[in-house]
Amino acid sequence: MKRRSLVAAALAVLVTSVLAASAGADTRTAARPEAAAVSCSGTINIGLLTVLTGPAAFLGQDQRSWAVLAAQRVGKELGLKAKIVNFDTTLDPAVALTAAQRLVGNKSIIAAVGPATSGGVAATSRTLADAQVVHVSPSATRATLTKGGSPEATGFFYRVVADDSVQGTGAAKYMVEKLNADKVTVFDAQEPYSVGLANTVENYLKRRNVTVQRLSVTNQTTDFSSFVARIPADTDVVYTPFQVAANANQIAVLLKEQGKRAVVFGGDGTADPAFKVPGSYFSNFAPDLTSVPGKQAIVDAWKQANPGRSLSPFGPPAYGAVQTILYAAKRACAGKSSIDRINIKRKMKAGPIPNWILGGTFRFSSKTNDPLNGGFWLFQIQADGTAKQIGRL
Amino acid sequence: MDYDKLFQTLVNSATLGSTYALIALGYTMVYGILKLLNFAHGDVFMIGAYVGFGVLTATGGALDPAFSPWLVLVLMALAAMAACALLGVSIERFAYRPLRDAPRITPLISALGVSFFLSNSVQLLFGAEHRTYDTFNIAGGTLYEPAATLGSFSISWLRVITVVSAIVLMVVLWYLVTRTRIGKAMRATAIDRDAAAMMGIDIDRVIMFAFLLAGGLAGAAGVLFALRTDLFPQMGFTPGLFAFTAAVIGGIGSIPGAMLGGYLLGTVEALTVTYVTVWVGLPVGLSNFVIFSLLIVFMLFRPQGILGRPEIRKV
Repeated sequence: MKRRSLVAAALAVLVTSVLAASAGADTRTAARPEAAAVSCSGTINIGLLTVLTGPAAFLGQDQRSWAVLAAQRVGKELGLKAKIVNFDTTLDPAVALTAAQRLVGNKSIIAAVGPATSGGVAATSRTLADAQVVHVSPSATRATLTKGGSPEATGFFYRVVADDSVQGTGAAKYMVEKLNADKVTVFDAQEPYSVGLANTVENYLKRRNVTVQRLSVTNQTTDFSSFVARIPADTDVVYTPFQVAANANQIAVLLKEQGKRAVVFGGDGTADPAFKVPGSYFSNFAPDLTSVPGKQAIVDAWKQANPGRSLSPFGPPAYGAVQTILYAAKRACAGKSSIDRINIKRKMKAGPIPNWILGGTFRFSSKTNDPLNGGFWLFQIQADGTAKQIGRL
Repeated sequence: MDYDKLFQTLVNSATLGSTYALIALGYTMVYGILKLLNFAHGDVFMIGAYVGFGVLTATGGALDPAFSPWLVLVLMALAAMAACALLGVSIERFAYRPLRDAPRITPLISALGVSFFLSNSVQLLFGAEHRTYDTFNIAGGTLYEPAATLGSFSISWLRVITVVSAIVLMVVLWYLVTRTRIGKAMRATAIDRDAAAMMGIDIDRVIMFAFLLAGGLAGAAGVLFALRTDLFPQMGFTPGLFAFTAAVIGGIGSIPGAMLGGYLLGTVEALTVTYVTVWVGLPVGLSNFVIFSLLIVFMLFRPQGILGRPEIRKV
């Protein structure tokens, strides 16, 4: 009896081990269904991987609104029926991976916009590539996704915005040359986006002999008083490349409370109405669309479809991401009745994208899957709390 | 020596400590009577902040209040205290009372469940975006104006109001617990629940009153905290964790201990972020590591906490 119990226990352990091992097995294998052909006259489904809930949801909801608009307008322009299918990645790369796995399992989805965050791209690109899903991010700016010795993303990853090597360098240069900063405090939030950007800014500033203080918080930090107490009173600029704009705003408020003169400079993650202390700056990978000639009709259409929402520079690149996918689909459909995922990949760089949402014509770089001439724009918060575009970095 | 930084750190200590003390009192009162760690208490604090936000919005917001901004602030605090007191009583009645005779792990699990229920309910109803009282614009920014100055250093009205309000509430609590019949009943129940019941004390009423007080204090803490920070559904986790730690350091079950523990932990946190991480050469992002390492060492030498009594085991 005792021996039978031991055998049964050993079997149970063995079965459990096998199950546990298979659960932790390479998810790429589990996430590779056969690509289905999509009819060129049917609905072309485009997955949207973005932050729809959580502290940065404003940004993801903004991207969704522009992606949906692009599916309608650009689809009509090209004679295609397009639809956006949403997948919430939150700010957690683990959740992004789960969302990506669900996306690739949906055979009707031919390509994806997103993920929105650099951490999300790093976590999901291999899964999406294995399923031959082109993914075009409208906001993941970490430079190492596509550059460096071991890019974090795959050849199926594209982006329609410039990367942080442009943003960080541009921001740091502005601090030195226009704000005459001698002392800068650089924050990071201990995640890939902000650490990468903070490192770029810090390195540039140090090369220009600026005194740099580096401080580290998390997205869960609630009270920044003690961190702000560490900032010397003669600091000129505090750089806050956060994904949670409200945290950058809190730091700006605390600086004023503690009588410190430093001005806050945020990254593209602070392109959010929650960041509103007058005098603060932020950079963003897209301009104010109302300043781009010929885009008023699109802006009006967006406002009509999104009553009550305020126009932000963060969302329009999602429109651009859909443009790239639909032009690739249109080109792939030439002479064919149906296409599949790999056809999109083959046509992503087949030609320019005219009537680009941010003005002019869009092209990908021939060397990487980054935009050929991407840039960052600079905004300053006005006395009424709104953001005004003041130049280009 | 940068005296401005030192004074600012002391102010931060007092402000943080006030919040932690108010929340810690709730943990310690409930533990003292029920021997239950009410993990939902941090989320009651969060609900208080949201109730305050609701009142502020309903009365016109920071920029266009319907009444005097100071009256609005008082209304926010009172509403939050009332709502959280009621919430605390409800949680006790429906989530803990049915499990009073169950093994101790069971109400603990129930407390965790209530915690998740509260934070996810708020997220479902109001979204997960950070919200703010926009304190900068309340009363034309008066809250951020100096209440007192010392050379080049100044302390804002916001900090003064936070600390003074907390102290007033703690004094009221002390009075209730030490000078009233119900307070005496609470203390008796904490010492020996069965004996208190045999002496004719209505235990259910005493426990309900403890949750009422705990909830009220947490609600006030929520409003005071949210005046300086942002609101989001998970905002109760970190302060709740720190306050629980403060209650343990002060001596879980001891009301003066919870107050002392709160201010001590606030001071440790402020000093660690501003000074200790610099002295030991660690990145400031590891400040929680330093704080809790110090606490572990402290607990090794004084496990019952500063004002707690060693547990007596009958042999």
